[in-house]
Amino acid sequence: MNTLRGIDVHNKARMDEETTDMALFVRTSKEDLLDWKRQRIVDALVKETLIDIDTAEEISKEVEIQIIDYQIKVVTAPLIRELVDAKLIERGLEQARKMHTRLGVPLYDVDQLILNPNKENANVPHGPEATNLTLAEMIKKEYALLNVFSQEIGDAHMHGDIHIHDLGFIDRPYCSGQSLEYIKRFGLNLPNSLSIAKPAKHPEVLLAHMVKFAAALQSNFAGAIGWDAVNLFFAPYLVGLRDEEVRQLAQMLVFEFSQQAVARGGQAIFTDINLYWEIPKHFEDVPAIGPGGTYTGKPYGYYLEEAQRFVWFLFDVFKEGDGVGRPFFFPKPLVHITEKFFQTEGHEAFLNHICDIASEKGNTYFVFDRGDTAKISECCRLSFKLEDSDLEDAKEPWKMRYTALQNITLNLPRMGYLAKGDDTKLYSNISDFMEMAVQAHLQKKAFIEKLLSLKEKGPLALLTMDKDGSPYLRMHRATYLIGMLGLNELVKIHTGEELDHSETALKFGLKIIAHMKLLVDKFTKKHGMRFVLEQTPAESTAYRFAKLDLRYHSPESGHIVKGDISKVEVYYTNSTYLPVSSRMNPIERVRKEGLFHPLIEAGALTHIWLGEARPSKESLANLVTKTFKRTLNDQIAFSPEFTTCSSCGKTARGLMEKCRYCGSGEVEGITRITGYFTKTSSWNKGKIGELHERFRNQGFFKDGESDIINIRQKSH
Amino acid sequence: MGSVKIFWKSNCSKCPSAKSVGSILEEEGIKVAIFDLDTVNGLAEGAYYSVMATPTMIIEDEESNQIADFRGTVPTAQEVQKLIGRYYQ
Ligand SMILES: [Zn+2]
Repeated sequence: MNTLRGIDVHNKARMDEETTDMALFVRTSKEDLLDWKRQRIVDALVKETLIDIDTAEEISKEVEIQIIDYQIKVVTAPLIRELVDAKLIERGLEQARKMHTRLGVPLYDVDQLILNPNKENANVPHGPEATNLTLAEMIKKEYALLNVFSQEIGDAHMHGDIHIHDLGFIDRPYCSGQSLEYIKRFGLNLPNSLSIAKPAKHPEVLLAHMVKFAAALQSNFAGAIGWDAVNLFFAPYLVGLRDEEVRQLAQMLVFEFSQQAVARGGQAIFTDINLYWEIPKHFEDVPAIGPGGTYTGKPYGYYLEEAQRFVWFLFDVFKEGDGVGRPFFFPKPLVHITEKFFQTEGHEAFLNHICDIASEKGNTYFVFDRGDTAKISECCRLSFKLEDSDLEDAKEPWKMRYTALQNITLNLPRMGYLAKGDDTKLYSNISDFMEMAVQAHLQKKAFIEKLLSLKEKGPLALLTMDKDGSPYLRMHRATYLIGMLGLNELVKIHTGEELDHSETALKFGLKIIAHMKLLVDKFTKKHGMRFVLEQTPAESTAYRFAKLDLRYHSPESGHIVKGDISKVEVYYTNSTYLPVSSRMNPIERVRKEGLFHPLIEAGALTHIWLGEARPSKESLANLVTKTFKRTLNDQIAFSPEFTTCSSCGKTARGLMEKCRYCGSGEVEGITRITGYFTKTSSWNKGKIGELHERFRNQGFFKDGESDIINIRQKSH
Repeated sequence: MGSVKIFWKSNCSKCPSAKSVGSILEEEGIKVAIFDLDTVNGLAEGAYYSVMATPTMIIEDEESNQIADFRGTVPTAQEVQKLIGRYYQ
């Protein structure tokens, strides 16, 4: 508490010594009671703001008189600060007041927080660690809005024109993608760590290093930690191992990353593991690193059998689920489907295997890399054509480290309300909102660069460590994500129709996104930074924007927002998705949503909600193959629903009020919220609203299998 | 009588020849629409037709059913006319 710190340091000579002995104690945030000293107010004002000493003196005297007049018994430091701030406002000293702001949390809020679960992010369990995390986030959020972003950008966020994600993690980049090669080659030698580990000699040790490194990364990034080609990079360690041993390792890997309450704020590490059935073309001839961090003398192309054994067993583990048969929430397995996949022996059996898990537990993500593109393993699954420099890096795969520095999402429906049906106005609104997002990115980038410039003495020491000639965080390869929310609702506001109602509406939606795509390309050229569009997972933003638009754009927004207004279970449709309630068959959804994917380089995905249905693995495999060959969809996932019972411990299919086995009401629903599985009891109200409206494709998969086979391939 | 959509980009070497095929077809009375993929309309229309290579030529009947498509290759005007002719036999 700065007002009361460093007493009598400044300007001693100028201080008039008429300090009132009011026998008054001030409770400070430093856990002590200090005698009242007016000078502390002066000192704080001089230190923290740019006002002159005479004004500071005047203010301190006025505040002192106030405190005496009010006969306050216990004066707290925050109270004094507020009284001082009021005086600053009276004098019109806005900037000084801002600089003198105290960041903090009301008593009531802290009380609520300690007692009740957090619904902002369903991945945070409830507990003391989680409370710590949330409290820290609240203060850092305020800090970010006051001190990192400009007033204009901060206001745009607060009003809900844009959403700056993870403000509570302002001092970290957003997400990270890397491979095991870094720790295989350099061991675990992290800044500020107590001990140093040499490169692993055994697969279990490599796994232990992976887990520790992931935890270290989690504490330096806001979002997901992705790992590239995990089964391939483990492969040189698996030579000569019996199936039982490989199976065991697969089990350890999944369990290690699925355990809750071990890391930051009791939050599971949001882990993506990228997997391949084939040896990806760009790694085929790359020299393999094996036990002890040394080259094995063979290229990765040689390790196909080990890589395939490992990935097969990983899916066996996912199929079984956790100790009581529930799906694992983390790690998320992303299988890359490529041209080469279909040329690799055994792909039919493997595709059936992973489709079996997709139907049974839902874990599998099918990522489609067509032609020469490869998806880089970040949280945002950025897809791009590997450039020459990337192919050069691929020869030394530990260099392939990618980050998205920040994610900003635009409120598309808001642009629609403001345009009032005028095309020109709408397009210029889009440009203005995009420009704001770019400004926000520039401000965050400047802040992160400031932290990075402190090198190993700074808070991001881990990201500045340099073992291969460049810092761990390669800023020159950073991407800057611009997400969109509620395209469906924007199209409805502007044309009267939702995206799934007509080809005209769909085309209009494509125009909006095409405009945004051309703009990010323009900004990329202008600033020399890689701006890309992203399908934001928008777990709480969909709710937040809908609520804010109900406040600022009623009554119109009342006809637009989805969900149940009477229960405030409102939301906007995520990114460019067609409405979740749309009763179209899955292949049609995959195709239509996929039309947007070539314009959106990061995170594009189509969800197929399964509900209780448990389609055959063959029918899903068929759908996956058709999706690859006949559409431009980037990624699909199938989401079943479960009910788990805490009375009898069994898990049943579907979302139910009572346990199917024992009838108990002590049950929890489990399904995918946005990009991961979680308990529905932890969902925010917006997502609950969406859950009620999801069309579950049950009929289609029950008796519609022939539809998948015979679906007519339309030209558009 | 069928219509032709041509998608092009400024940095593409085969695109000029696709456009000249387009003008021949137009002289023959076939409806030709040309889309520049560097514009909002062109890019949106291109996304709708899943255009991933330039030039792309899409040939449709009046009900917008696809008769044929050429992606990254350029047919001759005669080939296109033949395809349309055969379709309407
Ligand atoms: Zn039960």
